[in-house]
Amino acid sequence: MHWLTDPFQADFMQRAFIAAIIIGVVAPVVGTWVVLRRMANLGDAMSHGTLAGVGIAYAAGINVLFGAMGAGLVLAFLLLAFSGNRRLGQETVITVLGTAFFALGVVVISRLDTGVELTHFLFGRVLTVQWSDIWLNLALGGATVLIVMLMFGELRLATFDHVQAEQVGVHVELVQAVLVMLLAVVVVISLRAVGTVMTVTMLVTPAATARLIARNLRQMTLWGVAFGVGEGVVGLMLAYHLSSAPGATIGLVAAAVFAIVFVLTLPRRMPHHHRPLD
Amino acid sequence: MSDASAPPILEVRDLGVHYGERHALHDVSFAVGRGELIAVIGPNGAGKSTMFKAICGLVNHDGVVEVNGVHCHDHTDRMDLAYIPQRNDSDLHFPITVGELVLAGRRRFRRWYQRPTVADRAAAEAALARVQLGGAGDRALTELSGGQLQRAYVARALAQEASVVLLDESLSGVDQPSTLELLDVFESLAAQGTTLLVATHDLALARRRFTRCLAVNGTLRADGPPATVLTTEALDSTFGSADGSRGFRALAD
Repeated sequence: MHWLTDPFQADFMQRAFIAAIIIGVVAPVVGTWVVLRRMANLGDAMSHGTLAGVGIAYAAGINVLFGAMGAGLVLAFLLLAFSGNRRLGQETVITVLGTAFFALGVVVISRLDTGVELTHFLFGRVLTVQWSDIWLNLALGGATVLIVMLMFGELRLATFDHVQAEQVGVHVELVQAVLVMLLAVVVVISLRAVGTVMTVTMLVTPAATARLIARNLRQMTLWGVAFGVGEGVVGLMLAYHLSSAPGATIGLVAAAVFAIVFVLTLPRRMPHHHRPLD
Repeated sequence: MSDASAPPILEVRDLGVHYGERHALHDVSFAVGRGELIAVIGPNGAGKSTMFKAICGLVNHDGVVEVNGVHCHDHTDRMDLAYIPQRNDSDLHFPITVGELVLAGRRRFRRWYQRPTVADRAAAEAALARVQLGGAGDRALTELSGGQLQRAYVARALAQEASVVLLDESLSGVDQPSTLELLDVFESLAAQGTTLLVATHDLALARRRFTRCLAVNGTLRADGPPATVLTTEALDSTFGSADGSRGFRALAD
């Protein structure tokens, strides 16, 4: 029993668990749409690219979360502006911009002479999360979940059939822009806890696992949150007992759950399972 | 069903679409009345889909599109049109039920932040019943056959209360019984006043089951009742040389 309760004793661990739970809720709520719109590459570019803002903010002595938010918004704007380039294709533009911002962040941080290590930002330091971070994450996360709930119908229409969505009055490009902005917010929320590298894991893996078992969007979102929170808590407990890197441990737990669900649901995805009504 | 004296429900004048230097479509003009069932024929790459997309404002175009006498400038002017794309344009594994698909048609009647009302759900169920899919609202799209899926899309157009439905190759890849069921649904809707334009390669069906044919290849080659459009001369003009259109003429006979 102590094995279960010990991790919750220390104050810093309690803050870490709360941070992981916030990410576990917010990341899959947005990640559901990232998975359905096949935007995982965009999530990856966004999570890596924010390192530019983190590095610049750190060098300037500003809260790194604001730097990450700034970089996320600039990156989101550039991605939206250039992703329509037909000659290059969206994936290429996303990769070029994401890696450029990531490289800028690495260069800035590597030139700092403050003892800060690059790995802190790449993989996070969930055990150093402060109450101020948690309040900020709660506010940003709450706003994000609220926006997704309000726009649930619009997101569904624009994602399933953007042509018909436009026909019935949905502003498809605006929906896409809002989603990219929310992606930037999730990256900011996840930054200190799981770092820029593992953020995309929390964004994609719980939602992808939920996709395997959900029949509709509501189920997919709720299952994604359940997986996200569960994997965050279990990952942190394992990291506590194994003295392993928390962000990476959470990522491994998420991947293991995905693998188990993938195997368990294989029979359901066999071609013979889908039969017409008549 | 169509009344020649009534104003057209859809009027297209000098419609043209070009991608850079290439003209996909030019100088297309026609008008259709309420309750017409129209087959749009032409070879692959003739511009049938492009014409539908231009009418719906989904691609930039020259010329004028009027719906119910209103000059269309943007999508909000075109909500009385419903476009059903080719089957392979849809992600059938998307986690959406048949009922939710049909309910999407009701979006035009509410603001972005409003949820569907009881009346919206009733309208969606009624639309499903009209295409003989009553009770299928909870099914996943992957559980439907090709014909049922097309009927579900038609139900979405009905829920949208569209006056004109543009169906792109809806009869392709659908088995014979499902094709006949779909045509029964089309005729029933036309009889109730909905105008349907169906892009199809099946000239025999176009002759037997449609009231009018539009022959398209780069521009409008022929327009009129099937008996006047499915002629050697018009088919040669639409499908190319006499040799090239021979097979199509055989089908249309």
